[in-house]
Formats: sequence, C-alpha cells, structure tokens
Amino acid sequence: MPRVHNWQLGRDMDYPYQGERPERQFTMIMDTNKCIACQSCTIACKSTWTWGKGQEYMLWNNIETKPFGFYPTGWDVNVLDLLSEQAWNGDTYAGKTLFEAAPAGERVLGWTADEADWSYPNIGEDEATGSADATPYLPDKPHSMMWMYYLQRICNHCTYPACVAACPREAIYKRPEDGVVLVDQTRCRGYQECLTACPYKKTMFNLETRVTEKCIGCYPKLEQGLQTQCTTACIGRLRLTNYLSRPDAVDPRKPADFLVHVRKIALPLYPQLGLEPNVYYIPPVHVPADYLTQMFGPGVERAVEMYNAAKDDPELLGLLMLFGSTERIIDTFDVRDGVARGYDEQGAEIVAVPLREPTFVRPLEFATEVNGEPVTGYRHNT
Amino acid sequence: MGDGVTRRDALIAAGAVGAVGAGALGAAGVIGLVSDDDAVPPEALRARVVARAPADDPAAAAWQQANEVVVPLLAQKIAPPFLDAAGVAELRVRALHDGSGLALRLEWEDDSVDDLDGVGRYHDAVAVMLPTRAATTPPPITMGGGGTPVHILQWRATWQRDVDSRGKTGVDQIYPRVVHDVMPDDVLPPETAALYWVGRAAGNPLSLATRETPVEQVVAEGFGTTTHLPSTAARGRGTNEDGRWRVALGVPLEREGAGEPLQPGQTWHAAFAVWLGDRQNRGGRKHYANWIPLHLEERA
Repeated sequence: MPRVHNWQLGRDMDYPYQGERPERQFTMIMDTNKCIACQSCTIACKSTWTWGKGQEYMLWNNIETKPFGFYPTGWDVNVLDLLSEQAWNGDTYAGKTLFEAAPAGERVLGWTADEADWSYPNIGEDEATGSADATPYLPDKPHSMMWMYYLQRICNHCTYPACVAACPREAIYKRPEDGVVLVDQTRCRGYQECLTACPYKKTMFNLETRVTEKCIGCYPKLEQGLQTQCTTACIGRLRLTNYLSRPDAVDPRKPADFLVHVRKIALPLYPQLGLEPNVYYIPPVHVPADYLTQMFGPGVERAVEMYNAAKDDPELLGLLMLFGSTERIIDTFDVRDGVARGYDEQGAEIVAVPLREPTFVRPLEFATEVNGEPVTGYRHNT
Repeated sequence: MGDGVTRRDALIAAGAVGAVGAGALGAAGVIGLVSDDDAVPPEALRARVVARAPADDPAAAAWQQANEVVVPLLAQKIAPPFLDAAGVAELRVRALHDGSGLALRLEWEDDSVDDLDGVGRYHDAVAVMLPTRAATTPPPITMGGGGTPVHILQWRATWQRDVDSRGKTGVDQIYPRVVHDVMPDDVLPPETAALYWVGRAAGNPLSLATRETPVEQVVAEGFGTTTHLPSTAARGRGTNEDGRWRVALGVPLEREGAGEPLQPGQTWHAAFAVWLGDRQNRGGRKHYANWIPLHLEERA
C-alpha cells in the first residue's frame, strides 16, 4: 500500500492511493466558543442543497451538543470504540489509523449507521455532563461545574478521505484546484461503501436517486470567491471559509495558514483517525482537556491558553473579528492601527473591522423631554 | 463441450490441457482461487433451441426442456470489499435460445425479499457474465481484465419493483407513513425541481424513476470498471415464491455494443453472481460462481 505523509500525525501512513495534495485546500475554521446552536447554518445548507425528496434525513451541515449529541447517533464514539485505545507520542501519533487498522478484505475500519441512527439529529441537545461535586477545571468560574459545547460539522474534505479509499468504483474524487471532495453523480452505483467508511458519517444516500450525496463545499460559491452558505448564515460569526496552503508553503498572511500552522490554535477533528481532515476547530475553553485531546489531538491546552489571552493579542483578535465580516473569501489579512483588514487575491481590500468599536458613554445626568416635561437619568431606547 | 459432458469428463479434459486455458478450471487457476471444491467444474450449460426463449417468464413451460446446472456460490474474497460469509450455497441455472435471443433462468434460496434501496437497505440481485469474444479461455473471473472485457446482465429486485410499480419505489414506499414538507416539485417548475434529483439530472441510469426493464447491461474490464450500456434490449422478470427467487433474463444473440454475437453451435462461457440484500450484500460484497461452459445448440 502506498505511503503518504499526514502532517497532523507527524508521520507517514498507509493509504490506498498515492498522495497528491491539491494546489490549495478548501478549509473551514470553526470557533466553537461562539456557537449557540441556532442551526442557522443547518437551515442555510438544507434550504440550499438538500430540500429535495429523497434527501429528507440529510444534513450536510449539522450542529450537535457534545458530549451527548451525535448525527448520526454515536458516530464518533462508535469509531473510537472500534479503533480502541491508541496513543500519541508527543505530537507524533503512535497508534493506528483507520486505514492501518482495516481488517482483511476492507480498506477502512468502519461501521454502518442504520436508519434509526440518522433519525435523531438533535439527540442529546443541550445536555450537560460533569459533576457538580468534582470541578477540577476552571473551578473559579461558576459555569464550569457542568459542561457541554456545540460542535459544528460539515464534510471535512479530508486530504486522505476514507470515502475515496472505500469506493470500489473510484466515483469519489478530490478536486485538484481546491481539494473539495465530490461524488461523481454519474458514476456512483449506490453501494454505500462510503457510508460505512467515513468516520465522520458525512456521505449520505439519496433515497430517490439511489446514489450518494455529500457536502460540496458550496463549490459554485467558491468558484466566485464567496464563502459557503453555512459560513455566511452564521449569526455567531464563528466560521471562516478559507484555503490552506500546502504544509511546505505556509504563508502567515493567509488566515487559515495563520490559525492552523503558525499559531496552531485551530485543530483538526479526530486527527488520529488518519484522514487529515480539513475543518479546523478552535477548542472550547471550558471543557476538560482530556476530552478535548481525544477529539482534537495534542495541542489543545496551548490553543485554549492562546484563546483566553486573545484580548491582548491584536493579530489573533483581529483575525477572529474578520470572521463573518464579509461574504467574500479573504486571501490575506493584516492588523494595523487597531484595524483588521482582509484582502482579495489581487491584494485589494475587501473589508476592514476595528478591534474596538467607537462607543459613546452617556452621562448620568442625561437630559431629555417627555411630553414637554424635562427628564434626567438613563433613558432606554423605547 | 457438447451433450453428455459430465463433471468427470470436464475434469479429465482440464487435466490434459494443463493449469491454464481450460475454461472454468483454467480461469480459476490463473488467479489462484482454486480450493478442492472449486476444482470440479460443473457440467456445461446447454441452451436448447425453443420457439421462443422466455427471457421474461421464469415460470414458462419451456424451462422444463432445459438441463439444470447447479453451480456453487462462493463469498467474494478476491478484492476488497470482501463478503465475509456466503449466505447461499448454490445457484440453479437453465438456458434456452430461439435463434435470435438467449434466455437464462436463475434460481436460488432467499426467503427475504429486499426490493427497496435505502439507508443500509440493500437489494437482492443476480448477474450473468458472458465473454465479449468467442474464445476457448474465458476472461478473468474478476469481471474481466484489461483488454479482455466481459458483458454482464444484472437483474435487481429493486428494478423489478420499479417496473412493476411504475416507479413507486422511493421514500413513500420505504416509509409508508412519511409526511413531506414542501418539496421542490410543489413549488418550482418541473425542469428546475428536477435538478434536486441530482443523480437523475446528471443522467445516472441508476437514478431512473421509471424503467422499461429490470435488467441492466454493462461491460467491464475488471472489478470497479462497470460501464453502463444504454441498450434496453435485455429483458427479465423475477418472482419470489416459497423462499426462492426465480429470475428469467435474456439478451438478443446480436449483442448491441457488447461484443461478438452469440452464435448457435458455439460454446461460450457464463459466470454468475448473487446478492442477498438482507445480508448487506452490494457491489463487491457478493456471491460469485466460476465460469462454466455455455453451449448454444444449433437449430435442429
């Protein structure tokens, strides 16, 4: 089996095909700390791509509450259980990937979700975990007694997709120009091998057309230089549609490169599975590190520490404030004189966001009139 | 091989020719599949001449005139993904022709009718593989190989239901109590709404809502290379009674876009595959049977 390099694991690994990285890789950065699970992204995606008959159960984008939320049910705990306990040696993964752990006759270690698993997209919603008696983390903050957080999920457009590895027809491919993973709708014969193989469970079978469909990274928008529907619909401004350079050509002026490779504050989802997923998460700051390390790999504690200090870190803060500030894809950014700016590929300014909005503090003795009578004090805007 | 060929005769013939190039045994030997059981090739399938080859009637009286060959089915473990364990041991095969068309009847045990495709729901199916060229040695059993293509006829229970129900085989049938919200075809012009069935709009033959025949013809040059043929000349019909599928299917002897014509008087080869939907069979997770000789008798 060919050997490919997976930078997230810090080592080479087995993969059924030769590795060939795209020119640049479609990516999405998610700031988990800002999500309120309003599902605006989910609805934006659903109403754009999957409101057809046969797609009823499909949510190419979903938000689930961790640790008890899943779509489909148990997607991550099931595959972790299958893979069993594995280890990191510092930043190098010492365990087996899903490709390396595949049993004889299979290309990927996987499991198949059944109909019921797909039927409860809001299972576990807002359920917290943890013990009020045992609060070893952030003990000085009252909300830390219990914890839950929201995980934003789309297809990871992996560098080494399990769906591609498992498809016996080579009907799934990565676009060389942007690494978006697509199912060739003319070539798929509906074997559903990808549904079994994808650990993130982001390929879905259309009940009317009998072929597989999946998140397409809103590629018609990408081709116009626009961010995806889930990104632009996000009222929490926690998403950034962007491109990741090849690992040997990192450019710190580029937002995704800065967050993923330079600052390492945005981390991949279950990197140990070996797919080199390309959605990156700024981890939630209030969740036990053990849990986060299992989900996002080593580097979680450093990322949380950096995020907690972001208010004194203008470059990072400025970039985070550019999230959700424009529909256009930001190629490069900078932060100067208290203003974060995003630029297009020609270097033209797309957007400028001040790190501090100008504010006006009304004096207590603020005077106005109501029905001709003078009134002093605070007045609400009613 | 003509009339009166027995398993013993075939074995002797194969031994005389050597390991490669002796039909069923040769093909199996080339790819290293031979177990002791496989080493005994089934007797030849003889397609007798009848007035009308009943490619769409598994219950036709004419089938009584055909010899029945029992072929052993094996779990596919040549190329991933494997079928873990066989769920059916044998396939009973008969063949007839009428000078213009070849018909086969395939029969196997399956007491679970699986004729809807859904999430984790797979269908029952059967396939017949034929060489595209007349030759003493059939192509590799691995659905042919580079330069040695095969012609495959596949019948699926889902397609039979498509035909029988005129396309009522989707969400409403999988989930009879489904309640739909607004769907694209409720609010959009038909040509726009159709875009939401992407596979269908892209022309994928698997995505057709209505079809003329439950049998698809494909050509292939190895696993994973299945290529759909636009011809709808293949016919078929399958019924499940008493826990058995009986499927008749057939093609014109003049095969459109699938190789040389099947000439009466010639001996060809046929190989088979069976899928059991309730055992999650699909694609390569299938039962297969090695090549057996298929002799088309000349018109009397």
